[in-house]
Amino acid sequence: MRQITYKIERSDGAKSFVAAYSFPYQPGKTVLWGLITIKETIDPTLAFTASCRSAICGACAVRVNGQALLACETPLDAMLERFGDTLTIGPIQNFKVIRDIVVDWEAKTKHLTESKTWLIPKDEFNALQGCHQSAADFKQINTQASCILCGSCASECAKLTASDQDFLEPFTYSKVWKLVADTRDKSAPERLKAILDKGLWKCMHCVECVTKCPKGLAPGEDIARLRRLSIKLGYTNSIGAGHAIAFRKDIEDTGRLNEIKLTLRSIGLLGSIAKFPLALRLLRRGKLNPFHFPGKVKGHAQIQAILKAVRESDQK
Amino acid sequence: MKYAFFPGCVLEGAAKENYVATTTIAKELGIELVEIDGWTCCGGSHLQDVDELGATAVNARNIALAEKMGMPLLTVCSTCTLMLRKAKANLDNGQLEQINKILSTGGIRYNGTSDITHLLWVLIRDYGLDRLKERVKRPLTGLNVAAYYGCHILRPPGIMNLEDHANPKSLEKIIYALGATSVDFGAKLKCCGFHATYTASEDMIRITGETAKSAVASGANCIVTPCPLCQMSLDMNQPEGQAVVGCNQEMPVLHLSQLVGLALGFSPDQLGMNMHIAGRELTKEIIANM
Amino acid sequence: MLNFDVLVIGSGGSGMRAALEAIRQQGVSVGLMTKMFPTRSATGCAQGGINGSLQHADPTDTIEKHFFDTVKGSDYLGDQDAIEYFVRHMPNAIRELDYFGVPFSRDEEGRIAQRNFGGASSPRTCFSADVTGQVILHTLYEQCLKYGVQFLSEWYLLQVVVDQEQLCGVVAYDLKGGRIVPIAAKAIVVATGGSGRMYWTRTTNPFSSTGDGMAACFNAGIPLKDPEFVQFHPTGLAGTGILMSEASRGEGGYLVNNLGERFMARYAPEKMELATRDLVSQAIETEIKEGRGFGEGLSAYVQLDLRHRGRETILERLPQIRDLAITFEQVDPIEKPIPIRPSCHYSMGGIDVIDYRTCATAVEGVYAVGEAACITIHGANRLGGNSLADIIAFGKFAGKGAADCARQRSMLSSDIVDLGARLWEVKFLAVTSRKSGASITSIRDRLAEIMWNNVGVFRTASEMAVALQVVDGLVEEYQNIIVSDQNKVYNTAFVNYIELGSMLTVAKAVVLGAHNRQESRGSHYRADFPNRDDENFLKHTIVTKQGSTYNISYRPVVVTTYQPTERKY
Repeated sequence: MRQITYKIERSDGAKSFVAAYSFPYQPGKTVLWGLITIKETIDPTLAFTASCRSAICGACAVRVNGQALLACETPLDAMLERFGDTLTIGPIQNFKVIRDIVVDWEAKTKHLTESKTWLIPKDEFNALQGCHQSAADFKQINTQASCILCGSCASECAKLTASDQDFLEPFTYSKVWKLVADTRDKSAPERLKAILDKGLWKCMHCVECVTKCPKGLAPGEDIARLRRLSIKLGYTNSIGAGHAIAFRKDIEDTGRLNEIKLTLRSIGLLGSIAKFPLALRLLRRGKLNPFHFPGKVKGHAQIQAILKAVRESDQK
Repeated sequence: MKYAFFPGCVLEGAAKENYVATTTIAKELGIELVEIDGWTCCGGSHLQDVDELGATAVNARNIALAEKMGMPLLTVCSTCTLMLRKAKANLDNGQLEQINKILSTGGIRYNGTSDITHLLWVLIRDYGLDRLKERVKRPLTGLNVAAYYGCHILRPPGIMNLEDHANPKSLEKIIYALGATSVDFGAKLKCCGFHATYTASEDMIRITGETAKSAVASGANCIVTPCPLCQMSLDMNQPEGQAVVGCNQEMPVLHLSQLVGLALGFSPDQLGMNMHIAGRELTKEIIANM
Repeated sequence: MLNFDVLVIGSGGSGMRAALEAIRQQGVSVGLMTKMFPTRSATGCAQGGINGSLQHADPTDTIEKHFFDTVKGSDYLGDQDAIEYFVRHMPNAIRELDYFGVPFSRDEEGRIAQRNFGGASSPRTCFSADVTGQVILHTLYEQCLKYGVQFLSEWYLLQVVVDQEQLCGVVAYDLKGGRIVPIAAKAIVVATGGSGRMYWTRTTNPFSSTGDGMAACFNAGIPLKDPEFVQFHPTGLAGTGILMSEASRGEGGYLVNNLGERFMARYAPEKMELATRDLVSQAIETEIKEGRGFGEGLSAYVQLDLRHRGRETILERLPQIRDLAITFEQVDPIEKPIPIRPSCHYSMGGIDVIDYRTCATAVEGVYAVGEAACITIHGANRLGGNSLADIIAFGKFAGKGAADCARQRSMLSSDIVDLGARLWEVKFLAVTSRKSGASITSIRDRLAEIMWNNVGVFRTASEMAVALQVVDGLVEEYQNIIVSDQNKVYNTAFVNYIELGSMLTVAKAVVLGAHNRQESRGSHYRADFPNRDDENFLKHTIVTKQGSTYNISYRPVVVTTYQPTERKY
């Protein structure tokens, strides 16, 4: 009889431990089924949360071999095929653990509140008559509105894992973008200004949030949207914005990056001087050529024409 | 096998050793690389944060240049691969007319006839592991290699679709084909933080340190990675990284092309490994004793 | 002692709407207690839409029509004064949701779009793709954060403490903190949802739908009204009971038997698949019974065919149900029909609300709203789209009602609540330290089996008499159940134990009510009394508890405008 084993990263609220449970395999089941089987037939003390079992309530996000997912909709067979008959199950990362695979959302709701993730309707609307919005404008926000607050994106976020002191959960950025893009909302400029101080430019582009979201959101892309809009609105005075703008300038000027210029434009003279040890290191190994000024690439006139056409198209 | 070669900016700059190694092994393996004349920076995921349309258009031009050469486009940088493939996905799914209109102002046109691939994918899919095995002159016996994928060669799976993003095996397969041993380590699928070098530099430095430390703990002699940005991050910043996490042992970080090159019989110097910051002597020693 | 002027229990649409209303009343302290993280509620599972006569899709729709449709849909058991009050408020309530930020699907003129739904004489169901409940729930949560509602997240209701028909407070289990806490309150709004999980696997409901508030109020002396009226949603996935929204029929899906027939022609020739849920469920079960279904046993099924609607429409209007069919039945509705079977979906019955304007119960200070309550506007059968409407409209009334009440009451002595908490501490220790006894799952599964088989879509006196005995036996066994988890922090086993108790408590009322109602009406179908009997049963079942004895009495239905007539679709 084929046995499946869940090695579960547990804790009793005070200390952590790993417990392994084996149970008979059944085809066509989900990861959640395994957890329920353990709780109902082997160890009733296993604590986890689940409710709708149809991927809409967001309660059952867990990590399987370091990958956050919704236990209720993830086919067990696919996990076994991927990882073998022993799976390591743990709570989603970057949340305080209460017990076993139950995590605490308190700190996250604070972030939502601080980021004012609710509609601030335009003055032309009122509660009695409601609002007005075109079908096309609805399509701009309905993906972000599908977020079920499951936390999978936050679990694997590289930046959040490195440090959560100066960054928000990916779902929070998505919610902010949702409101910025909602044509019924009047506070886009204020929202953008506020989010700049909350780590908007610290996202590492690791694409985990996009990969993990079970509802088809792409928080990393919503972060990019916020970044683009912030630059359009003139918030260019930051390292991140400077860095991105420097890329465009280099491409427009020559078509290639100039590392010296790039650094200067991103972190300024003082910042660049602070990186002197690194620069020296690179110089020594021949990796940095301070006299390397790439010339215009062949067909550079094409680039300029193209970027000009893009600018004109954006203005429309 | 002929490819329109897209080196990417860092191969011209701080990762020029990868240019050396790539062209060296390509020649040896009989993979013809013809550099695209007039390629531009792919945007590096940063242009995309300023000007999405511009990024798609600029990359459409890059692809169009390859199309003109009648060849698929090959890069050795994971971010370049992702940026180009993303642009292609946009073009093939609704943006074709809009972008071609813009490209026409530069007298160029995207037709969708060139695929975009990475050296890693070429070795696995087009060249083949068996063939690679046959070319091995110096089997890397006893070399423990930690495979570090980084982000952009795997994610998002809809665009980077060679293999299972949560359990990839391509690097390990190549490691074995070259006679070396693959060692698993915790940082295998993690982000190196390169794209936040300036905006979250402390985090990036610490990640560098943790990754090297993790490789040391796993018993690896070196890390191999298909992305020069990861290589740069893990190599160039290693002194600072190690200091932060309190690890003394240097961990050499090899480009994929360099690992292949060593197995093909080239010396570390011939593959530009003398340009690395971390573990230069270590690798030389190991190779010398093979 | 922790205390609130208004304590809302339950964070679904009705609870959050109530809390929102209460906190905007000024000068009233508001707490919202919920047993899971607030957005996990069953409201999020509602897919199809919210009804209101906005006249966007059909300018000839009227509030009057919504009124009649609801009365007829209820098979004339709905109280017409409450229904009229409800439908009148809906258009404004929906516009207010728009103002809160709910992203509604729009028509070509930028107005809230509306679609057809079961039992509706006009397309008045407003929607957001097929995730209407989820977006409403999350938007209300956003608004609660905006207004600073104090959430007691993952606090589980153990008891409603009432003394001489007056509310004193509640006893709650703070899961994260691992403590049993007495809370004094001047008014509570019980918004804890339905009790469909008494059918365990044969239900569309989430694991949390265990009737806790219903049982707690019942145990505190508040009656349950019309408990026998349990709605079976026709289209739950055959294997799991997961809901395939009525929108799938609203968007033109066909129900097909093993002969390839659209069999609804036999049962509701005019409305076909869009007849009311009770009729469609009974039709499907009849088809299966008479051998025209597929498969066998508990997961026998008929087919829901959407192929003719085309790829574009399915992807745009029904993306979620497509995902669910693929994930849980491995069927893509663009290419194949979906296997479905009726599943328990909604509790029309519930806590006896005696004033529809405020949602007050007979106990001063206790208000009830949403699926947990029975006002009743749904009577013997609820129309699709009327539940989301119910919770938004009445959530507001209950919030105001509770706030007004709190302003006029003084906090009663907290000693009784404190005593209650201490007794629960003792009980927790006693129950969790038992070394032997029946298991939670064993009792739960046997309850589900007897309920589905004997008190399901088709009911008879003899089968229900057996059910009554079995349930009594299970209640007996429950006294010696074993829980086996002694850790006080996040003890889900203990919660499951109490939830099972809630289900048993309410289930008995369901069986009793069903057994005594010797007629067929709406979702309550008696094979031995197949006709509606207005002469004897145009009345509400009222179940009360004295000690461990259940008593039944009746109260007439309020008929104002529409005299009961034959109900055909």
